Amino acid sequence: MKPNAWLLPALVTASLLALFAACLLGSTPMSPERVLAAFFGGGDAGDRLVIWQIRLPRALAAYMVGASLGISGAALQGLLRNPLAEPGVLGVSATASLAATFSLYYGLVALSPWILPLSAILGALAATGLITLAAIRTRSVVTLILIGVGLSSFAGAAMSLLMNLAPNPFSLADMINWMLGSVANRSFREIGLAAPFILVGAAILLASRRGLSALTLGEEAASGVGLNLRAQRILTVLGAGLATGGSVALAGAIGFVGIVAPHVIRPFVGHDPARSLVPSAMFAGLILVLADIGVRIIPTSNELKLGVVAALIGAPAFVWIAIRRRSSND
Amino acid sequence: MTDLTVQNLTVKAGRTTLVEGAGFALVPGELICLLGPNGAGKTSLLRAALGLEKRSSGTAALNGDDCAALSPMERARRVAYLPQQRPLAWPNAVRDVVALGRYAYGAAPGRLSQPDADAVDRAMETCDLAALAHRSADTLSGGELARVHCARAFAAEAPLLVADEPVAALDPRHQFRIMDIIQSYVARGGGALVVLHDISLAARYASRLIWMKDGRIVADGPPAETLTAERLAEIYGVRARVHGTLVHIEGAA
Repeated sequence: MKPNAWLLPALVTASLLALFAACLLGSTPMSPERVLAAFFGGGDAGDRLVIWQIRLPRALAAYMVGASLGISGAALQGLLRNPLAEPGVLGVSATASLAATFSLYYGLVALSPWILPLSAILGALAATGLITLAAIRTRSVVTLILIGVGLSSFAGAAMSLLMNLAPNPFSLADMINWMLGSVANRSFREIGLAAPFILVGAAILLASRRGLSALTLGEEAASGVGLNLRAQRILTVLGAGLATGGSVALAGAIGFVGIVAPHVIRPFVGHDPARSLVPSAMFAGLILVLADIGVRIIPTSNELKLGVVAALIGAPAFVWIAIRRRSSND
Repeated sequence: MTDLTVQNLTVKAGRTTLVEGAGFALVPGELICLLGPNGAGKTSLLRAALGLEKRSSGTAALNGDDCAALSPMERARRVAYLPQQRPLAWPNAVRDVVALGRYAYGAAPGRLSQPDADAVDRAMETCDLAALAHRSADTLSGGELARVHCARAFAAEAPLLVADEPVAALDPRHQFRIMDIIQSYVARGGGALVVLHDISLAARYASRLIWMKDGRIVADGPPAETLTAERLAEIYGVRARVHGTLVHIEGAA
């Protein structure tokens, strides 16, 4: 079946519109003319500041985080041949955010600005690697999800321990940020620190995406048609680990986007994991930008955390997908 | 001419010996049926012969090149493998599943070169799947699905085919249909090694039978020579009457 030709153009258009809308909306609404003027270096100095220092980096951060979670989710689902696989569900995000918190807590981040993204990525790789090792040993996907639950719980417990021992309220607030996930007050500098990892991760996933299609046949037949299973596992784990780690370094743990986006996209690409990567990334980016606009314009006394909103939408979707799954393709 | 030559192959899992000192050769123009009771080591023999499972001693070579040392793609271009377990993870369109058989040629379901697309069409034609091309694989019957997997294997257009129980759980008509497809592949110059549990079916189609028990090959030859009542008693533990290639099993011995 031909993948729908309109899918990518529609996603590109929607993404650009959403990013533009994110610049329009906010506590002080701006007209499209003022936003456009500020974009191209004209207009009011205050407008330029709001657009270039606050709204655009924040929207871009949300899009990048969504895109990396979307592409990681789609790739992990292809590798594990299961629609419930996702960095959040598998405990990868939680472990990455634990590692990031750890480096914050012990002040390691003072050594170099790269320490934070690196520790998040190390956490993500450790979790993804563990899941894949387990995936080699067991064919049961339920086992993998349970391991993910275990990893998440452990990371949560370790995080609580750090919070328990937090020396001052300031670092406590910092940690909660990491646990709940948010893109508030992100600057281009922080985006620049996470971007290389996200881009390399995404590039690895894209370069190895053909093997994910072969895995549709199951591991045995996939090896039969010429897939190097070991290499495929390593590349997907590495790519998803880098991309998820990068996103956690930027925004903390945001769950369930990586499960919802590929699920929606899959029917449009003939259920081919390889062809679902790019559209899933764009769609997940779109979801987070829209959710973040929502977070900003909903009038609450304390701004809602993006990760909280994502989970409020995503967790019910996860349950729904799990219930609708046929038991036969376990 | 491509040949798969296995000599003195032994496979162990921990301290259990799954296959011991097995040897055979598969060449184009032959349809070999591998027979033996459950647990005889048939699947392990096939997997080790293809370099998919570690062997503890012996050799397995495709055209003289060690199977375990060949790259997975190079191996896939020489021999197509249809495993026993054939789970499909996603409800793909039939043609996309068949297209996965072209993986070793750099093809992907979304982008098939002209030669790839032609090979996929030929395989679909051979297995009578043209009408089902755009059907979702999860809506097919068992017999249709078996044909899809066969077409997937044939799409590689490899000179050799190794199929592990390709007719398991199929009704008699579909069993014959799949075996006819494999026979026509052999008639066109392919070589096939097929694991079967239906002895009559094997005797009818095979040019050679390989009999396995407890990890060892106990006989290897044309049905007329190796198919005897004594052998059925020895291998399967059944009482049977054999007339030429007709087998009538009367019960457990």
